[in-house]
Amino acid sequence: MSESHEHHEHDHSHPEPQVQDAGTHALGEALRSSFAIVKVVMVLMVVAFFCSGFFTVGPSEKAVILRFGKPVGEGSKALLGSGSWHWAWPYPIDEVVRIPITEQQTVQSTVGWYFTTPGEELTGENIGVGASLDPARDGYVLTADRNIIHTRANLTYRINDPIRYIFSFASASNSVQNVLDNVLIYTAAHFKVDDALYTDVAGFQDAVLHRVSDLTEQAQLGIVIDNCQIVNIPPRQLKPDFAQVITSRENRNKTINEARSKANDIVLSAGAQAAGITNAAQSARVRYVTSITGEAGTFTNLLAKYQANPSLFVQQFFIPAVGDFMSTANKWFLPQRADGKPRELRLELNREPVQKPGQ
Amino acid sequence: MNDLMKRNFITFIIGAVLVVIFALLLFVFQVRQSEVAVVTTFGKPVATYTNAGAYFKLPWPIQKVYKFDQRVQNFEDKFSENYTADSVTLLSSVYIGWKISDGQRFLLTIRNGSIPDAQQKLEGILRSAKNAVIGKHQLSEFVNPDPQQLKFEGIEGEIEQTVRAQLSTNNIGISLEFLGFKKIGLPDSVTQTVFDRMKSERQQWISKYDSEGNAEAQKIRSAAERQAAETVAQAELLANRIRAAGEAEAANTFTVFQQNPELANFLLRIDALKNFGQKSTVILDERIPPFDLFTHLPTNSVAK
Repeated sequence: MSESHEHHEHDHSHPEPQVQDAGTHALGEALRSSFAIVKVVMVLMVVAFFCSGFFTVGPSEKAVILRFGKPVGEGSKALLGSGSWHWAWPYPIDEVVRIPITEQQTVQSTVGWYFTTPGEELTGENIGVGASLDPARDGYVLTADRNIIHTRANLTYRINDPIRYIFSFASASNSVQNVLDNVLIYTAAHFKVDDALYTDVAGFQDAVLHRVSDLTEQAQLGIVIDNCQIVNIPPRQLKPDFAQVITSRENRNKTINEARSKANDIVLSAGAQAAGITNAAQSARVRYVTSITGEAGTFTNLLAKYQANPSLFVQQFFIPAVGDFMSTANKWFLPQRADGKPRELRLELNREPVQKPGQ
Repeated sequence: MNDLMKRNFITFIIGAVLVVIFALLLFVFQVRQSEVAVVTTFGKPVATYTNAGAYFKLPWPIQKVYKFDQRVQNFEDKFSENYTADSVTLLSSVYIGWKISDGQRFLLTIRNGSIPDAQQKLEGILRSAKNAVIGKHQLSEFVNPDPQQLKFEGIEGEIEQTVRAQLSTNNIGISLEFLGFKKIGLPDSVTQTVFDRMKSERQQWISKYDSEGNAEAQKIRSAAERQAAETVAQAELLANRIRAAGEAEAANTFTVFQQNPELANFLLRIDALKNFGQKSTVILDERIPPFDLFTHLPTNSVAK
């Protein structure tokens, strides 16, 4: 009813611009609906504005919210990790700074390494080795005894104070790199060439590790050193000479070891010989004593017979003994001369015939 | 009427918010962590903000804000030559960590407050510090197996002190955080002579090892031989003692033989006779029994 009345009123008050009115009405409708759309869009935009504040953090990074430039939260609490949504006001109120922290960071020092191209690095070959080192291209370090060697190092570290690492250093990894370069030069200056290359490689590595730790701590870089791998090599120009020293040293050791085992043999066989000698003496002693004792026994047995008739006893023993003897020995029988004079016997002793060579 | 008021109110709020935002943009500035800000009034520095946060300022053109990175910057100078005290040409490059410690001084003394300009200044300061310090030291103080004589850290410290002194004299708002050698080298031609020396040192080692091996082996072998001879001699000594002990033991039986030395003698001689070997040749005459049986054989003398 009221509607119809309204219409009626309209009809009455503005009878003329009825057609126009319909146009305005349509326009009004259109405006109203588009205004509604704008309103929805605005609401959506406000929602989007607040939603844009949501962010996530990747697995190999941390994030810090800076509110008016200042980190929100103290120390490690300021670090936002992965696994959940975080929210920040849009700029200029908040700013999200992402810090790439993989578990381990690595820096490599080639300040002491000769110039190589990545291709050469892959094949392990190095062409165009000059007689000298160009200081502009080739790196090296000086050892304590003023030798030149090449050294390179791989250092791995963890960031334990990311706020300091990121906000106090324009490039903390470059600072670590500088420290590593410095420590290689410093350590090489303490080590003799043979120690650095062969006899005390572990000591060299340890010294580098400790000093890098000390210096990065002094500079408060906010990192912890995990490990440091070092490769030291002699200059390529002198590779054969250094190799020859090693060969010679190994040969020396081999010769000495052989001499030791030979010496061992000599001592052992002398021991065996000595044992033989004493054993022989021991058994000779036993034999001798036994036989003497035996003889003494025989003697005691024979004594009574002998005393009974010495002459017969002698004949009884002597004749068979001579007989036994004669059965084996060569013998010449020399009868008495007819004139009763003693015979003269001449023996001619020939030398052994000299053997001719080859016979 | 109510509707109108409500609409006006909303418009007013929106306007006010816009005004506030505009005012904030004009009157407030942020200092980020890692930044230092210097505020100038008509070009004259009046305040420095080193802590992060939001601060008030008057709008341009009255006040202006300059922001600088106050983190530690890395810088290394060119790899350059210096003479040591013992006239060795030493090439060296030094790295430093530096930062802006006084924003106002930095703004006033470094053109545009630009970092490359600052580093150019630092390069000059480093060069003169190196010239002053390296020339005072011998090469043996840079590299030495004896830690007492090695002054590597000391030299770095001297350069650092010189640079610090220069920075505080120049007062350019920069502080030095750390300093160290990044690279040390010798001129191209010198490396050649070093190689020659190294080569001859290697040769010395080679000949040392070669002769040492044989000498040492000889020593070991002769020591072993001496030891072996000693062992055998000891054994012989012991053997003699053993035999002597045996003879002493045997001597106990002499009392038995002494009962009748004649018989003992006779038995010994019989034993000796038994011990002659097969190769013995004996020449006998007929007086020896049992050949004395032949003595009076008539054929014997007739035959001759």
